[in-house]
Amino acid sequence: MDLLEVKGLCKRYDGFLLDHVSFSLSPGYIMGFIGRNGAGKTTTIKSMLNLIKKDAGEVYINGLPFDANETECKLMTGFVTGAFDCYKKSTIKKLTAVTRRFYDSWDEEAYRGYLSRFLLDENKRISELSAGMRVKYALALALCHNAKLLILDEPTSGLDPVSRDDLLDIFRSVIADGEHSILFSTHIISDLEKCADYITYIKNGRLIGSSDVPSFCDGYRLVSGENEVLSEKLPHMIGYKSGAFGFTALIRSEDEKYFSDCRTAPADLESIMIYTEQEEK
Amino acid sequence: MKNLLYKEFSLCMPLQVPLFLCFAFMIMIPSYPYLVAGFFICNAIFYSFMTAAMENDVTFSLLLPVSKAQIVRAKMLFVQIIQCVSLVLFSGVAVLNFFAHKNAGNNAGTTSSLTLIGAFLLLYCVFNLAFIPRYYKAPHKAGRIFLLSAVSVFVFIAIFEGFMIATEALHETVPFFAFIKTYIDTFPTTAAAWAYQGAFFAVCVLIYIAANEVCYKRAKAEFEMAEI
Repeated sequence: MDLLEVKGLCKRYDGFLLDHVSFSLSPGYIMGFIGRNGAGKTTTIKSMLNLIKKDAGEVYINGLPFDANETECKLMTGFVTGAFDCYKKSTIKKLTAVTRRFYDSWDEEAYRGYLSRFLLDENKRISELSAGMRVKYALALALCHNAKLLILDEPTSGLDPVSRDDLLDIFRSVIADGEHSILFSTHIISDLEKCADYITYIKNGRLIGSSDVPSFCDGYRLVSGENEVLSEKLPHMIGYKSGAFGFTALIRSEDEKYFSDCRTAPADLESIMIYTEQEEK
Repeated sequence: MKNLLYKEFSLCMPLQVPLFLCFAFMIMIPSYPYLVAGFFICNAIFYSFMTAAMENDVTFSLLLPVSKAQIVRAKMLFVQIIQCVSLVLFSGVAVLNFFAHKNAGNNAGTTSSLTLIGAFLLLYCVFNLAFIPRYYKAPHKAGRIFLLSAVSVFVFIAIFEGFMIATEALHETVPFFAFIKTYIDTFPTTAAAWAYQGAFFAVCVLIYIAANEVCYKRAKAEFEMAEI
């Protein structure tokens, strides 16, 4: 059974439409949720968690419909945002004392372990923590109530490379038991290349693709060739860049037959995102 | 629910709440519109909402394993507890006033009495209905919403206290005001005064219960549609 299933999620704002977004995540995996700033990643996550009212769609956590079982689903879910800024004047100790009361499955021993591992001082106020430490604290809270699904909204934004790498190691260790999963939204592709098993890509509120990383990348090719043939091949390109020495373009794998006179190479996540985002140019 | 209430008292209750409850002693001031003391309690409640808004309490609460309806219900309960505590204090100080001022009455408004306690309940209804649903529609606009609610509260105070001032001025010439002065706007020392004021207070309690239920339903509906 999928730990997370999102079906036909829709949300309309003036000038923006989250358009029937659907994807699913099995236990034991990390899914990278990618897209440019403003693509709809946070809107999707907030709609999933009922932080904003969705216009349509269904969300299932471990098979339970979220809307009808909000409390049970939240018990199975931990949400961590890169900008944890609640009760900044309170100490970690005070905030944890309030939070732990809501969870029967709270694991105090694990909590102490995470505090020690993340070098978190219980007597510090939230405002005294760096961005990375705040993410680690939010993560500790989520992990100690044994959340099966962690939903992380740009947790590595604003972190230095060492902290980011440290966090990615933690993510891998969290899912190692095969029971937990992580949905991880970011626009920092290098983070996903290190830890994601699945990719869900959203652009202007519409789903571009959702599959395991090798299959996702396999659906695209990078081609390069002379500028003279550029115009005739343009209709088969997703996006391209041209210069004095020729062009480089992203194409769908099934369109490779149109580029037999060009050099082709596998596409990586970053290239797919960069070229896809210039589609309209 | 008790966990949410614990959160309200330990994280959302600023120092202003216990501090402003001390304004109950305003009822000791001779010749003063005592209902104004109720405004300070509303002010204390506003500060708790303001603290919650500044500390992103809505986001924090929504991530806990509770529904939006439970969050609103707990906040309403917190407000009602503060308001009930204030009523207990007002009642105690009203008795003190009676003995301290030898039942001198009040030229500037309602006399310290059971009627006054009932009037505080009506004032809280006005505040809760004007403030709480609007807060859940847009928590970040708490300050502006409070200004509008404060106007509603002062309009109520002006009407109620104005009526009692009219009673003070006209009770010797108009029989209706004589009745109000004898049984309603006085510290109850006779069985009849207790009966009339008790009936008025009971009606106020019923109105308070009904108004808070309406307030909860409106706040819940607003919160369901809110964009956090």
